[in-house]
Amino acid sequence: MTGTWTLRLPDGTEFAGPVVDVRDLATDSAPGAIRRAIRGGCPTRPDRPTVHAPLPTCVHSHVGHLEPDVSIDRRTALAAVGVARGIDTPHDAELDRVQRSLRDLSVPTIDDAELRAARRRAAEAGSETERLRERVATLRGRVAARRDDGDSDGDGDDDAVAEAEASLSEATRQLSEASTERVAATQRLDTLEVRARRARDAREDRFRLEDRVENLRRARRAALADAVEPDVQDARARLESMIGDRVAGPGGNDLHDALAVAAIAPLRAPIVADPDVVAALGGPDAAFEWFGTPLVIG
Amino acid sequence: MLLVVTYSRRARETLRNACRSHEETVVRQFGRAALLRETEYGAFLTCRLRERHAEDVQIERTAPFNEFADAPDAVREAAVAYERRDSPYTPYDRFAAGTDHPDAAEMRGREL
Repeated sequence: MTGTWTLRLPDGTEFAGPVVDVRDLATDSAPGAIRRAIRGGCPTRPDRPTVHAPLPTCVHSHVGHLEPDVSIDRRTALAAVGVARGIDTPHDAELDRVQRSLRDLSVPTIDDAELRAARRRAAEAGSETERLRERVATLRGRVAARRDDGDSDGDGDDDAVAEAEASLSEATRQLSEASTERVAATQRLDTLEVRARRARDAREDRFRLEDRVENLRRARRAALADAVEPDVQDARARLESMIGDRVAGPGGNDLHDALAVAAIAPLRAPIVADPDVVAALGGPDAAFEWFGTPLVIG
Repeated sequence: MLLVVTYSRRARETLRNACRSHEETVVRQFGRAALLRETEYGAFLTCRLRERHAEDVQIERTAPFNEFADAPDAVREAAVAYERRDSPYTPYDRFAAGTDHPDAAEMRGREL
């Protein structure tokens, strides 16, 4: 608990810790901005506060800014304390192993654009073939009708028949080309679909591993939280015997948890505490004592 | 129907959300897969999934299976006969041996 740290504001004002009080400062150095500077480290933009202090542990994001209406995800915060304390759990080895398998797994890429182009080509070839098939049927009907006309009038309009026949033969040629294209497009799409299906087997493996990792992480978080639970409860009991219900408010319960977590957690960096919270703890010195870490009051 | 199968956690999450918000279009949902109604809206949802997750979603268009049209007679008849067998513990290969029923390995190798 050395507590040496410095805060430099955009206007050049500098403060040195352990406890820095910024209650009377302008809004552009609001506690939120200072908290961000503590988390972000150096360098910062010239119009923002700068903090020279060790970088915070992962618990800091849960209890780095303590206000009367603070809200805290208790179990996640407890797990973070476990991580910051370097507690081992029975799930660590398995989690490492599964994460390594996941990293080593090579998932063949599927060229999505190529597959999409093949789908489009097959669809277009299909509808073009259908269109030409209908046209050929129509023209075939027209040729037959012209021939019938010729037969019934007796004088035979050879030109009309010839013209209809020419259209039919052109349409038939186009249909044959379109059918060839349709076959080629369908085969190409089938080939790519088969390849995509095979690539999905590896995705399937990856998916199972990802689920496994997530389950192990959850189990690990629960184990970490369980491991620090007794300490947090002790700290909360000490806190409540010390301050009673001096910090009442809508978030009173969360605040008590947050204060208990902050007291037992390795935080490393300064935290920001609301003046009312500091007062409830018995003033700056008592608050510094309680948190065991440097403090910004604001 | 449209069968949608997802292959990543994010794709599964999107599918679950889509199923929750569009119950009228969902025929069935099974974990990471769903059957959607074959409506334009079903197509709209599947196109969105494909657009967002590319090949992390597999989309198939299903059709009812008609055993009289889609399976060879011998296959269908073998299935019926096997389900009506006397001893429930007879494996299919032993059941089929020495009969006209098709061999399991042969059936595995033949596409419909």
